[in-house]
Amino acid sequence: MVKNSLFSWIAMVLSSLVLLFIVAPLAGMFLHTGAAELLETAEDKEVIRSVWLTLWVSFAATLTFAVGAVPLAWVLARKSFPLKKIVQGIIDLPVVLPHTAAGIAILGFISRDGLLGKAAASAGITLINSPAGIALAMAFVSLPFLINSARDGFAAVPERLEKAALTLGAVRSRVFFTISLPLAWRSIVTGFIMMFARGMSEFGAVVIVAYHPMIAPVLIYERFTSFGLKYARPASVFFIIVALAFFVILRLISMGPKKAEISRDAEA
Amino acid sequence: MLKLERISKQLGSFLLSEIDLDIPGGEYFVLLGRSGSGKSQLLELIAGLSDPDSGKIWLDGEDITCRKIQERQVGLVFQDYAVFPNMTVASNIAYSLESRGFSRKNIKELVAGISGELNITGILDRTVTNLSGGELQRVALARTLVTSPKLLLLDEPMASIDASLKDDVRNSLRQLNRKGLTIVHVTHDYREAISLATMVGVIHNGRLVQTGSPHEVFSSPVNKFVARYAGIRNFFRADFFSEGGKWKARCNGNMIFSISGSDYPSNGLLIIKSDEIKIHDSVPLYPGENCIRGLVREINPSEFGVEITVDAGENFFIDVTRNEFRMLNIKESSEAWITFDPASPKFLSGS
Repeated sequence: MVKNSLFSWIAMVLSSLVLLFIVAPLAGMFLHTGAAELLETAEDKEVIRSVWLTLWVSFAATLTFAVGAVPLAWVLARKSFPLKKIVQGIIDLPVVLPHTAAGIAILGFISRDGLLGKAAASAGITLINSPAGIALAMAFVSLPFLINSARDGFAAVPERLEKAALTLGAVRSRVFFTISLPLAWRSIVTGFIMMFARGMSEFGAVVIVAYHPMIAPVLIYERFTSFGLKYARPASVFFIIVALAFFVILRLISMGPKKAEISRDAEA
Repeated sequence: MLKLERISKQLGSFLLSEIDLDIPGGEYFVLLGRSGSGKSQLLELIAGLSDPDSGKIWLDGEDITCRKIQERQVGLVFQDYAVFPNMTVASNIAYSLESRGFSRKNIKELVAGISGELNITGILDRTVTNLSGGELQRVALARTLVTSPKLLLLDEPMASIDASLKDDVRNSLRQLNRKGLTIVHVTHDYREAISLATMVGVIHNGRLVQTGSPHEVFSSPVNKFVARYAGIRNFFRADFFSEGGKWKARCNGNMIFSISGSDYPSNGLLIIKSDEIKIHDSVPLYPGENCIRGLVREINPSEFGVEITVDAGENFFIDVTRNEFRMLNIKESSEAWITFDPASPKFLSGS
């Protein structure tokens, strides 16, 4: 057995400190929340409504935007075009923006004076303070996670496989749906889960676009500012448990049976 | 059959330049070149995966330069095969048939037929991730041949299979060619060309430097690059002069030997095949016109026996069989005499 060097020990101690920093606040919150409080929260209709709203709106936003994000990821992985690096920078922009600033930008876009808001209003749809507005705010801040993960997945598919499919008589769309998409599937699903999770946890952009209907992060904030830490904590724990359960289920589904693994030979 | 007319293609800083090639139907054409010489790019141009900047590609008298990949009737087997890892063997073979809209019944029959021919019926239901190199290659061939292409393109087909399987693959490829299929096979290994080709081309830095029958190319290479590809290691830069009606070559200032032929320029490059030089451990009884004394520098095992390096002012590389070597009383640093026929040195016109 190889003996650990001093460097390995230092690395392990530093790693443990970082892990502790992540786990300790969460563990503290769980330990300070009694089972009775948690059960009471689980029966609180306002909490259940907001958690359910958060989950389905984030899921719907992810699913809807995936229709455009996945082809965009393929274009970024496979095509060369002028200003490609700038396009990539634009995609990453929501990650670096302050989320309240992102919320202000979205609000301007979907308010009655904004481009999308005006179009929606003419169809009788109000976006502000609606699930659709929340979905747009969630998607704005979380889209880069799906696009970047899917792009990396498409880039990892050996281009020769797509070329081989073309020489075998397949048209481009058939190559995309039978070769590129199945082989990049894991990365796409990972990106989907990341986008969904990131959208679900969004507060800053959503609170500006829609205080009501209240998504879970806004409800937790509202309980904290109105009633204090003691009342916000059970709702936080309940939301974390539900979100984690969802996250684990989606991860398990995405791992599934090993079907479309790129072989060593194909990667060579 | 396949005709390339002044094909050029710029790929970054690399230029595939003015390729002219005419391959009659039924030929087995081997394109030799180092990696990065442009041989795989040329295959992709023929298959339609990229378009030439200029020039034309003709197949059976039809201009296919701008024709869609799917309509070219050209099959391409990639190096490492590019078999789809998300499908079974049967689905891989059926892929091209499904792409072309064949009926289910037809697909089933054709897949069964080709898998029987290539001896892969037993693995049709397997996923491809655990197949051996030889099996993968047969799947790739089956997938390509099932739609009966007019032309088969092979990119380094022997590069990823075990030495023990190479004979089987060679036999399969020969049989396909004997059935009338025109094959273009690119490789960096001249031995593949010798064993399979009816026509050979050598590509270097994006230019097709020589084409012809294997005998023409390997016995009369046009330049040092082609000669190296033919496995020739004896190169001599020489001054040529005529003396008493006979032509002589002077190498490295003082080593002089006779050469047949006439009208040599003042200087140039000569090659001599290793197996056309004889080595002796004493002055030979019948030395002939060219007998040069030298010192044995190295004795190394080679593919065909033993390779002896003799320093006679220039290094000569001589191939002998193991039996011949046992009969010789030579070791490193001992004296040796080399002889060769004046017809053996070949002048490289492109030198």
